[in-house]
Amino acid sequence: MSTMLRVKSVSKRFGGLVVLRSVSFQVDEGAIVGLIGPNGSGKTTMFNIITGFLRPDAGDVEFRGRSVVGLAPFKIAHMGIARTFQLVRPFTGLTTTENVAAAILYGRGAGSVREAQKEACNWLRYVGLEDAIDKSVGTLTLAGKKRLELARALATGPRLLLLDEVFGGLNPTESESAMALVRRIRDELRITVLLVEHVMRVVMGLCDRVIVLDAGQVIAQGSAAAIQADPQVRRIYLGEEYGAAC
Amino acid sequence: MPAQVLQALVAGLLIGSVYALLAAGFSLIWGVAHVINIAHPALAVGAAYMVYALATRGVDPMASLAIVVPLFFAVGVGFHEWVIRPAARRASELALVSMVLTFGLAAALENALAAVWGPGPRVVNVSYTGVAIRLGELALPVSHVAGALLAAVTITALYLFLYKTFPGKAVRAVWQNRDGAALCGVDLRQVTSLTYGLAVASAGVAGVALTLIYSFSPASHLTWLIFVFLVVIVGGVGSLVGAVLAGMLVGAVINLAALVIPFAWVPFLLFASLGILLLWRPTGLFRR
Amino acid sequence: MSRAAVAVLVGMLLVLPWVGAREYPLALLYSTFMYAAMAVAWNIIGGFAGYLSFGHAAFFGLGGYTTGLLLVHAGLSPFLTAPVGGVVAAVFAAMTGYPCMRLRGPYFAVVTMILGLIVRALVLNFPWTGAAGGLWMPLPPWEPLAARRVFYYAMLAVFVLTVLTARAVRIGKMGVGLEAIREDEDAAQSIGVPAVRLKISALMLSAGLTGLVGGIYAYDRSYIHPDFMFDLNLSVLAVLMALLGGRQSWFGPVLGAVVVRFVDEILTIWIGTEAARIIFGLGLALVIVLLPDGLLPHLVQLRRRVPRKSAGRPVPVVRP
Repeated sequence: MSTMLRVKSVSKRFGGLVVLRSVSFQVDEGAIVGLIGPNGSGKTTMFNIITGFLRPDAGDVEFRGRSVVGLAPFKIAHMGIARTFQLVRPFTGLTTTENVAAAILYGRGAGSVREAQKEACNWLRYVGLEDAIDKSVGTLTLAGKKRLELARALATGPRLLLLDEVFGGLNPTESESAMALVRRIRDELRITVLLVEHVMRVVMGLCDRVIVLDAGQVIAQGSAAAIQADPQVRRIYLGEEYGAAC
Repeated sequence: MPAQVLQALVAGLLIGSVYALLAAGFSLIWGVAHVINIAHPALAVGAAYMVYALATRGVDPMASLAIVVPLFFAVGVGFHEWVIRPAARRASELALVSMVLTFGLAAALENALAAVWGPGPRVVNVSYTGVAIRLGELALPVSHVAGALLAAVTITALYLFLYKTFPGKAVRAVWQNRDGAALCGVDLRQVTSLTYGLAVASAGVAGVALTLIYSFSPASHLTWLIFVFLVVIVGGVGSLVGAVLAGMLVGAVINLAALVIPFAWVPFLLFASLGILLLWRPTGLFRR
Repeated sequence: MSRAAVAVLVGMLLVLPWVGAREYPLALLYSTFMYAAMAVAWNIIGGFAGYLSFGHAAFFGLGGYTTGLLLVHAGLSPFLTAPVGGVVAAVFAAMTGYPCMRLRGPYFAVVTMILGLIVRALVLNFPWTGAAGGLWMPLPPWEPLAARRVFYYAMLAVFVLTVLTARAVRIGKMGVGLEAIREDEDAAQSIGVPAVRLKISALMLSAGLTGLVGGIYAYDRSYIHPDFMFDLNLSVLAVLMALLGGRQSWFGPVLGAVVVRFVDEILTIWIGTEAARIIFGLGLALVIVLLPDGLLPHLVQLRRRVPRKSAGRPVPVVRP
């Protein structure tokens, strides 16, 4: 099992605010890893750095052994990292098919426009949007839009998938079905998953390993069970609420 | 040599204060209403012609303020109510649409002015034209100083309004965060109308100040437009202070540059500076 | 529009000069082709990519001055050198586009407007281009009616080239990428769209085609001056025509150009040039206020509404 992603001592500040403080962790190939932490702990910033939208002030990010710091976001996408966004950002003026076709054409660099549109349908089916093929994005619910973003990300043919709070706003049924989908993505498509999440049930149920961030620093990492039991994590984040809920 | 430089610097700051006033009004409209008022300098030129018409009847430019300010305020409010609001209701991209819209108005105004007064330049002569104050080695034309003072006083009045009065603070609130202000109970329509009135009135004052310093023609608004845009790019549309500082800076730089290079090449300097600025700090110079 | 209709239309346009059309209609169509080509070219960057350039006259003027100077100093016919004019415009676009495209939305629009104005001021002061006196070029060697025919075909050819290019971009891979950039540039990057490369390419295409138009126009005009070769009115007109006709398609701007050209012509005939300009400016403002998203959405609605109305009774269906 090789290392898919290695984050080495990454630091980032915005003006006077230090958002990430020498953060290090790694994601092994084939794993589903969770990145959790209170709001403002730097999780989305970490994603933005990995995908090339931000440059770290210090440290390095290695994807399959190659440093990606300083590369343009589209190059990183070509290397095999795909992401979804915390606030869904589908191409609203295009149809669902066109959204995914764009990813096939540019993410994998495959085929003609017509071929891409045909293949797009397969991806839409894969994420459960067979009823929404060729429909305008405006007709989708929030859950539907999230699936669309997922299909779009998958269509680029990634090795590593970054999911940014995909489960927020989903009801329990949608949540279960989404969790099953993520497992299928890892098992069938052999894609490594790194997800940022607030919904604890999902994190504990889905993730092999969990990394906990607080105020820009990694304060714990380990298996889901180990994290659950860690008193420091409990204190700053999980609190007694989770104990009462489970 | 230093005297020449100092002279150019001071002259640049004087004219810079008029740029600053023009840019302030322009930024107000952009920041508060998200409208890019291409017609802003044209309005100032319109005011200049009004001053000219009154001057030929013996009215001093300063006195014509009594007509220009209320008239232009009313024009601003009317423009908001009957032109911008209907457009904003229907348009999906107000900023773009407003550029085409206000350009049409600017073109119409320019052609109307040319139809009445012809395309040639006009000058307003007052009793103190040609008289200069001497400060050491500096010779400052009184009319230029008067114009600059007028601009400075107006900017100060705007500042005081925005920072010390309640309606002014409402304007700033909308400027910084339109939706947030609305959620706090600010009446967006009233505030935007007020802002328009003030901004257009300030353009009128800028026009009056203009007559004391330069000659003008119907097509002058295009030259002024370059300066206003430059000021906005350098200083951002985020605040009054930014617009003012940038205005003085642009005025000073242009005048100092004109010392070194022939005036005909100043556009090239602007072009090059703009390019360098954008390569170096494209987002950094915009205050959000 | 169906293929047959297009073929018929093109056929008519090709044949027109030979069935006795006089100078005036030929000149009118010539200018319509010119405006339509400019609008379609503008739309490649303004409509497809969503980067609204308010300085396209710079490209037009650069193309015109290139052919003009080559004619005056090297004796080369603009029909040969117009592509060079296009290349000059495209190179200029790439150089200035690179820093400018870091700005988005209204800031990009404002910057391009400044650039257009500055270029005009620059050329106005260049001694080598005739400065404020303008540039006098040798007249084309044909007598009036024949010249009208020649330029008619030249501009028609440029128009067809522009339309074919825009169409190819729109339905091909590049069009998909530009659309993604227009919708959400960051999300587009995250799926692998090389945004900077695509944007600059689109801008270069747009500028090059516009320069081509300017190159031909200069020859016809024979005397060129920065005031109308780099006219801000022209830049805004390009935006307006595309806005009016619809920016999402390759043919929308053609519709906008036809409307604008004909309205302008009617106004000028009825009222005279100066008053026409004033009314045009006001009319422009009014149209934008009432129809800010252009004519096409309304036309599409009209087409949809009529069949429903005619349910039960045969009614002639209006086709736009």
